[in-house]
Amino acid sequence: MSFPILSLLILTPIIGALTLSLSSSTQLKNKTIFLSGLWITTGEFLLSLLLPIFYDKSKNGYQFIEFHTWFDKFDINYYVGVDGVSIPLILLTTFLVPICLLCSINSIQNRTKEFVIYFLLLESFIIGVFVSIDIVIFYVFFEAVLIPMFLIIGIWGGENRLYATFKFFLYTLAGSVLMLLAIIYIISKVKSGNIELISDFTFDQQIELVLFLCFFASFAVKVPMFPFHTWLPDAHVQAPTSGSVILAGVLLKLGAYGFIRLSLPFFEYASIYFQPMIFALSCVAIVYTSIVALRQLDMKKMIAYSSVAHMGFVTIGIFTLTQDGINGAYFQMISHGIVSAALFLIVGVVYERHHTRMISDYSGVTNVMPKYSFFFMVFMLSSVGLPGTSGFVGEFLVIMSTISVSVYLTFFTAIGVILGASYMLLLYKNINFGDLKSDIKQLADLTNIEIFYFSCLAFLTMLLGIYPKLLFEMINKSISLSII
Amino acid sequence: MINLFQFIPEIFILSLILITLCFGLFNKDRAISLNTLGFILLSILLLNYGKDFYSSTQISLNTINLFVLSKIILSIGSIIFILLLKRPLKNENLYRYEYVLFLLFAILGSFVLISSNNFLTAFIGLELQSLSLYLMAAFNTKNLSSNEAGIKYFSLGALSSGFLLFGISMIYYDTGSFNIQNLDNFTAISEIGLSLVLISLFFKVSAAPFHIWTPDVYEGSPTISTLFFATLPKFASLIFLFRVYQELNISDIKSLNYIFQMVCAISLLVGVYGAITQKVIKRLLAFSSINHIGFMLLGIMSYQFMSEGTIFFYLIIYLITTFGIFAVLLNLRTVDGEFTKISQLKGLRFTSNSKSISMLVFFFSLAGIPPFAGFFAKFFILSASINDGFILLSIIAVLSSVIAAFYYLTIIKNMFFNKSEIELLDDNNKTGKVIFISSGLIITLFFIYPDPLINLVDNLFK
Repeated sequence: MSFPILSLLILTPIIGALTLSLSSSTQLKNKTIFLSGLWITTGEFLLSLLLPIFYDKSKNGYQFIEFHTWFDKFDINYYVGVDGVSIPLILLTTFLVPICLLCSINSIQNRTKEFVIYFLLLESFIIGVFVSIDIVIFYVFFEAVLIPMFLIIGIWGGENRLYATFKFFLYTLAGSVLMLLAIIYIISKVKSGNIELISDFTFDQQIELVLFLCFFASFAVKVPMFPFHTWLPDAHVQAPTSGSVILAGVLLKLGAYGFIRLSLPFFEYASIYFQPMIFALSCVAIVYTSIVALRQLDMKKMIAYSSVAHMGFVTIGIFTLTQDGINGAYFQMISHGIVSAALFLIVGVVYERHHTRMISDYSGVTNVMPKYSFFFMVFMLSSVGLPGTSGFVGEFLVIMSTISVSVYLTFFTAIGVILGASYMLLLYKNINFGDLKSDIKQLADLTNIEIFYFSCLAFLTMLLGIYPKLLFEMINKSISLSII
Repeated sequence: MINLFQFIPEIFILSLILITLCFGLFNKDRAISLNTLGFILLSILLLNYGKDFYSSTQISLNTINLFVLSKIILSIGSIIFILLLKRPLKNENLYRYEYVLFLLFAILGSFVLISSNNFLTAFIGLELQSLSLYLMAAFNTKNLSSNEAGIKYFSLGALSSGFLLFGISMIYYDTGSFNIQNLDNFTAISEIGLSLVLISLFFKVSAAPFHIWTPDVYEGSPTISTLFFATLPKFASLIFLFRVYQELNISDIKSLNYIFQMVCAISLLVGVYGAITQKVIKRLLAFSSINHIGFMLLGIMSYQFMSEGTIFFYLIIYLITTFGIFAVLLNLRTVDGEFTKISQLKGLRFTSNSKSISMLVFFFSLAGIPPFAGFFAKFFILSASINDGFILLSIIAVLSSVIAAFYYLTIIKNMFFNKSEIELLDDNNKTGKVIFISSGLIITLFFIYPDPLINLVDNLFK
C-alpha cells in the first residue's frame, strides 16, 4: 500500500482546525489566526499538487486507492480514489480556499478563529466528496458540506442572512434526502456501495427512472438548475465574499460532478430518457436567468444569476452524452469555478471599500482604480467567453456538441452567449466608465495581496484559455469511460 | 420451583431500594452516592454474567440478549442520571432522597417490563414504572405547573392503564392465557384486545395520536424529571412494544399492522408539525421526541431485515443525544429561575464554547445530518425499512426529517447567530460538563471509528 495521500488531503484541514480550536482564542491576534489558516491551506494545496504529478494518465480507473472496511455488516467501506474527473476539481478547491482566507483578512474581524475553522472543515468535506468512490461516504461528505456553509453564511452574512442560510440549507437537504432513499435502495439491490459495481448493475427500467429522478432532485438543487435555483441568489447576496467565492467556485460543481460521476454511469437508460427534460430546463435556465441578470441592480445578484446561466451550459453539455459535450461541460465547470470566484472577489473588493453592492452607486471607477478595472476586464471577458480565455473553450465545445443533438438547442445556447455578453458588458460599463462619482473619489486601488490573488486567477484563466490541452489530457480518458 | 436466579437484577434493585430507604433517613448524600455504586456494580454484573442469569430458562438466546442489553443500557443510563440529578434538584430546593427512590422504582418497573413473558407481569412492571413517573412529574410540589403535569400525566396514564387491562382481559377471555408467546388461535376479540394493549403502549412511548400529554408533562415537570421521562422509561416501554410486535407476529395480522403503520406515519408528521411553532425548548423536545418515536416504530416494523440491531442502535444514539442535550440545559439558568425559552439560548456561543458546540453536534445529529451518529442511526433504520418494502413510510420519514431540520436549525441559529439578550447563569456543574462533552464526542467520533458501538449491538445479537 502506497502513501495515503487522499486520506491525508481529507485529514490535514481537520487536524488544522482541531489544533486551532484547542488554542486559546484570547491570546491570538486575528492576523496570526489567518496566517496559520493560510499555512495549512497552502500546505494542502501543495500536497494536492502531487496528485496530477503522480497520476498515471494512461491507465483506466481510479488511482491512489485506499480501502478500509467501515460498516462491515452493510458492506459500506471507506473507499477513496481519484481519476481524471476528480483531480482538477480537487485542485480547484485547494486553490480557492487559501484565496478565500486571503480575501477575508480585512473584512472578517469578529470571530476569526471560528471562521478559519469552518473553512478548513469545509475544505476537507469538499475534498471528501471528490475522492469518495463509495456511494455512502460520498453522501456523508456531500451533506456534511452544508454544516460549515450554513454557519459561514449565518454568522458573517449580510442583513438578511438568516433567511438566506435557512433557505440554502433546507433546499439542499430536501433534495438530498431523496437521493439518500435512492442510495439505500441501490445498496439493497447491489449489496455494495462501490460506485464501480453499481455502474455495472442494470436496474429495472421503471425503477431506474425513479432512481434517476431522486438523484436529479439532489444534484439539480446543487447545480442549480432552473426551477430549483432560487436559493442561489439569496445565498450569494447574503454570504460574505469568501462564502460566495467558495459557493460559486466549488459547491455548485458538486452537483455537476454528481451528474458525471453517479447519474450517467448508474442510470444509462434514464439519462437518455430524461435528456429532453434536462435540455429544456437548461435552455430555460440559460435564457431566462440571463434576462433576469440583465435587470439586476445588485452586482452580486447579477453574477449569481449569471452563474445559473453558466451552469446551464454545464448540464446541457453533460447530457449531450458525447465526449465533446462532457469535456466542454467539464471545462466550463472549472472555468466557471475560477471566473465566477474571481468576479465575486471583484465585487468584494469594492464592497469592502464602499459598503454597497448597488450598481448605480458606482461609476467611473477606472479613474481611481485602474488596476482593479484591468482585472475586472479580464474576468468579465472570460465570463463572456472571449477566445483566449478559459470561458471560451467550454462554451464553444458545448455549443458544438449540441449541434449533433438538435439545432434548436444550439440556437438557445448561442442566445445565452449573446445575453451573457450583454449583461456582463453592461455591468462593466456601468461600474467602470462614466462620470466619476464624488463619493468614489477616495477609493483606494488594489492592495498587493489583492493583486497577488487576482493575478493568480487571471493567469489560470489565460493558461486554460490558451492551452486547454492541459485539462483535456487529464480528463479525456476518465470521461470517455463514463459515456454510455 | 421458580428459579430465582433469573431475577437477580430485579432483586438487586429491590435491595438497593431497601438500603436507600433505611440509609436515606440518616444521610441522603451517602444514600444517593451508594446508588451510583450499586448501578455500576449491576452493570458490571450484567455485562459479565447477564446471559447466565437466564440460562436455565427456556427463553430463546436472541431474547436473552435483548434482555441483557436493555438492562445494561438502563443501568448505565441510571448511573448517568443519578450523577446528574444532584445539582438541579438542589437549585430547586428539591434535594430529597425520595427522588432517587422513585427513580429506583421506575427502573425496577422497567426491568420487570422488559423481561416479562406474561401480560400480567408486564402490567405490574408498567404500573410500577408509571406511578413513579407521576410522582416525579409532580415532585416540585410548590410549583403549580409541576402539579398540573403530575395530575395530567396521572389521569391520562390511568386511562391508558385501563385500556391495557381491558385489552389483556379480552385476550385472556379469548385464548385463556396471559402468555405473550402463546397466541396462535387469533379471533377478532383478541385482535381488539391486542389493539387496546398497543394503544396503551403507544401512549407510554408517546406516539401520536396518543401523545397529547407529552408536551404539557415535559414542560411542567422539573427538567431533571423531563430528562428521565424522555429516556429510560420510554426506552423500556419501546423495548416491550418491540417484543410484543415480535413475539406475537403482529406483522402477520393485517388490521394491527395497519394500525402500526398509521401510528408511525402520524407520529412522524405530528412530531414535526407540532415542533415548528414551539417557543419553549422542552415542548420542542417533546414534539421532536414524537418524531423520533415515529422513526423507532419504523425500525420495529422492519426488524426482520437486520435483526434488532437497527432499532437498538437508533435507541442508543437517541439516548446519548438526549442525555447530552439535557445535561447542557440543566447546566443553564436564567437570573430569575429555570431557563425555558428557546430565545433565552441566544448568544450561547459567546458565553460557553463547550456548551454551544456540543449543542450544535446534538441538534445536527438529531436532524440526521452527517457526519454525526444521528445520520447513521436514521440511515440504518431507512435501510431496514426500504428493504422490507415500507417505501411510502420511508419517504414520509425523510421528508419529516427535512422539516425537523428547520426547528433544529432555529435552535442553532439562536445560539450561534444572535447576540444574547439576557444573562444566562452557568452552573458550572462538573459532572454535567463531563457528560455532555463525552456524549458530544461519542456522537461525533462515531463517524471515524464506528466499531465499538456497532460491535456492542452486533455481538449481543449473534
